Amino acid sequence: MPRRKRRASRTRSTATTASRGSVEVSEADVSFRSMTPSQFFYEYREVAGFGSPSRALYQTVRELVENALDATDVHGILPDIYVAIERLPENPNYYRVTVEDNGIGIDPKHVPYAFGQVLYSSKYRLRQARGRFGLGAKMAILYGQIKTGRPVEVYTSPLRSRKVYFFKIMIDIEKNQPIVLARGEFPNPSRWHGTRVSVVIEGDWPRARHRVYMYMQRTAIAAPYANITFIDPDGNITVYSRKIRKLPPKPKEVKPHPHGVDIELLKQLIKKSGASTLFEFLIEAFQGVGKKTAKSFLEFAGLEENLDPHKLSDKQLEHLARKLREFPKFRSPSADALSPFGPDIIEAGLRAILKPEFVVAVTRRPRAYEGHPFIVEVGIAYGGEIPVSNEPMLLRYANKIPLLYDEKADVAWKVVDPNNFDWKSYLVNFPAPIAVLTHIASTKVPYKGVGKESVADVPEIEQELRNALREAVRRLRDYLLKKLREEEARKRIATFMKYTPEVAKSLATILGPMGVKEEEVREMLLVAMKRRLGLSEDEFSKLVEGLEVSIEE
Amino acid sequence: MVAEYIDAADREARRRALSVFRERFKEIYKQIKMGENPFLMLPKRTLSNTIYDEKRKLLLLGPEKLKRSFFDLHESKKFMQTLLMARIIYEALERDEYPTIRDLYYRGKHTILYRDPSTGRRYEENTWDEQRESDAVIRDIEVFTGLLREEMLILSKEKGKVVGNMRIRSGNDIIDLSRMGHGAYAIEPTPDLIEFIDVDAEFVLVVEKDAVFQQLHRIGFWRKHKAILITSAGQPDRATRRFLRRLNEELKLPVYILTDADPYGWYIYSVFRIGSITLSYESERLATPEARFIGVSMTDIFGDKKTGKKPYLTEQERRNYIIKAKDADIKRAYELMNYRWFQTEKWKREIEIFLDKKSKLEIEALTSKGLRFLADKYLPEKIETGDWIS
Repeated sequence: MPRRKRRASRTRSTATTASRGSVEVSEADVSFRSMTPSQFFYEYREVAGFGSPSRALYQTVRELVENALDATDVHGILPDIYVAIERLPENPNYYRVTVEDNGIGIDPKHVPYAFGQVLYSSKYRLRQARGRFGLGAKMAILYGQIKTGRPVEVYTSPLRSRKVYFFKIMIDIEKNQPIVLARGEFPNPSRWHGTRVSVVIEGDWPRARHRVYMYMQRTAIAAPYANITFIDPDGNITVYSRKIRKLPPKPKEVKPHPHGVDIELLKQLIKKSGASTLFEFLIEAFQGVGKKTAKSFLEFAGLEENLDPHKLSDKQLEHLARKLREFPKFRSPSADALSPFGPDIIEAGLRAILKPEFVVAVTRRPRAYEGHPFIVEVGIAYGGEIPVSNEPMLLRYANKIPLLYDEKADVAWKVVDPNNFDWKSYLVNFPAPIAVLTHIASTKVPYKGVGKESVADVPEIEQELRNALREAVRRLRDYLLKKLREEEARKRIATFMKYTPEVAKSLATILGPMGVKEEEVREMLLVAMKRRLGLSEDEFSKLVEGLEVSIEE
Repeated sequence: MVAEYIDAADREARRRALSVFRERFKEIYKQIKMGENPFLMLPKRTLSNTIYDEKRKLLLLGPEKLKRSFFDLHESKKFMQTLLMARIIYEALERDEYPTIRDLYYRGKHTILYRDPSTGRRYEENTWDEQRESDAVIRDIEVFTGLLREEMLILSKEKGKVVGNMRIRSGNDIIDLSRMGHGAYAIEPTPDLIEFIDVDAEFVLVVEKDAVFQQLHRIGFWRKHKAILITSAGQPDRATRRFLRRLNEELKLPVYILTDADPYGWYIYSVFRIGSITLSYESERLATPEARFIGVSMTDIFGDKKTGKKPYLTEQERRNYIIKAKDADIKRAYELMNYRWFQTEKWKREIEIFLDKKSKLEIEALTSKGLRFLADKYLPEKIETGDWIS
């Protein structure tokens, strides 16, 4: 099968659905045959985070912001993102959420489907992307449409496009089809590119406020290369300006690894495949499988290489899936699909937002669990404006998006919890001003439960988190140790300098008859002090600069 | 202009002290000149470094030394204080002054102002805050220079008194200690500058209580029994101890000490005899190892079945005069039991009876029984029969 050209940014969230949400989708097809995906998702909106007006407002913001980031940084564009929440005058519970990006835009042909059809396009390729729920933007549109009856409004202009396109779209829930209410085109002389999406939803700003602000801040920490402007319903403007011009590495698309396969995914892969034999199918569908590996696997599994994959029985499928997971000789999963922040970005983000006195970040080498590659990153910010607390401030990220709920259930908390981690031996004594950022980048983040707000205790991930934390906190300890030593040296110098005049005066008085002068003793004491402290002339003068001593007798 | 009124003894003491100071502190100067971390080497003045010399029967400083360096965060201030105190004493010596330890405290107490460059804040710090600090430094200078404070012409309040058939020279005056009227000669803070001219006495009696001293003085005890009569008015000061030591050492007079019959009285005797722990460095000059504890002893009160000694008090008198020992007394008695110099047969017996009876008695009980009893029976009889503890 020819590799499909990637679609515009709006569809990428759907691609993620394929990677992580495929099981749910298929089950929906089976169990709720009479429902379209739109109906199904509407029924189960709590799962997607649209259970209450306040949660829905927060969820809408984050889905749109995450799409905006996916449309920019992934494509090598430094993001300029504008977010506004307005309260509509006609109904104080109605809010218009508008998010604009300077991303790659969307081909106008795809716009109605990208916004008006749930499960539009699926691609069984893997790569790391933000979209937690994939369908998120469409859920927001669906939710808004049901609650307020308003369509989504989209302005978009693909890269180098001469025109800006405008759409007003609703979703036909029964048929799962877009309804285009209006469309338009405008000239684009400035060659603006990007997308601006506005949805009107029922929300509850007073209750959502705290979370939305927290989300914006956490997002800004993880995207210091972005300019983000946020206007809240009360007209407050917050600007997070770009601190670094470096972008995270682009994730590449990779085929699934055989260890990460289940029956449903296998079915989907076969359905999309044009291969006529099992042997061809294996090579085509999975990463790191060549002729040799395919052959030795089929021997291992006891399957004929000429079997038509499309004609496998359920029993055979189950056997194949199990053997794929069990075969020990597949190459380790490729980490090419992953896009870690990298230490520079984490450090810049922490520095810009938390204003600490010290930051350090560590990006670990890729590892894998159950066939899914992952990379763990840890950043530490210490001191400065970070408030002192009895436990570390934890900033959790999974695939670059912040996780705000269920912190204490997360494997990251388990690792940084002062009851489990010996902070003391790294010179961190609580209460302390410390923040820990954790990032798990993976083609499949093992979330706990359906809420997808916390990551499960997968031993490989826990181990990597702990290793990363140790690596980072060791550097913090070095810093604290150096600071402690400097403080110690400063304290010693202050003490010695403080008492030097008295000592000099006393010796000069007692030994005056032998010609000893106060000034002379004082000079000699300074020389001895430098020698005693093992300080160079420069270090010494730096430490005593501005130190004044006088005696009131 | 003042100098002409100052006697030769003082002048000589000053000249000597000044020269010792210069010699000792020249060492510090040399260390600094060599670019070293200047230090004062001092014997440790702690209980653990206080040694009881069995042979000489003295409490002495042990061999442990303390190195007080200037460039040591925790010693720096003490080092400065020591040098500051040395300077003040030196200046007082030069100017023919006689400071008290209180004066030295005030002269050295001033404020050091400094600005911390890292915070920009200004701090004030006193060279010392309490007299306890400056007093400790005076003791350090005594051990560092080997000069007692008296030798540096540092005065303290006069506390001890003496009368007796004896003439001394103090400064430019000759004083007849038998012609003090109802009063007594206050033992000067620098007893080493006293010159003994002549004496006609057979022993020295030291009475802890000033009131009992006065009573014995007024009835002419010292004339009748050829005694030099001294009171320390409680815990003895250094001058009284040094004066007593000289009477014993130079005039070969036996010394008897009369205190209350309780652990505090015993300890007063012990200070006279072997020295105190805080001032153990000067025991060699202040202690009187031959001093004898004449009473009031537990066996005087209760008698002793083991030796067949009869008590001086009747059953009725004991009922009237005995005071019940307090917890603090008992505790002190147990502490004394641990001191080596209280581990003799007679002392063990004293403490044993005390702990058994849990009773104590003041000297005044004996004067209540009768001043004449105390002066003409109790004391002479005990001296004569050798009924004392050493």
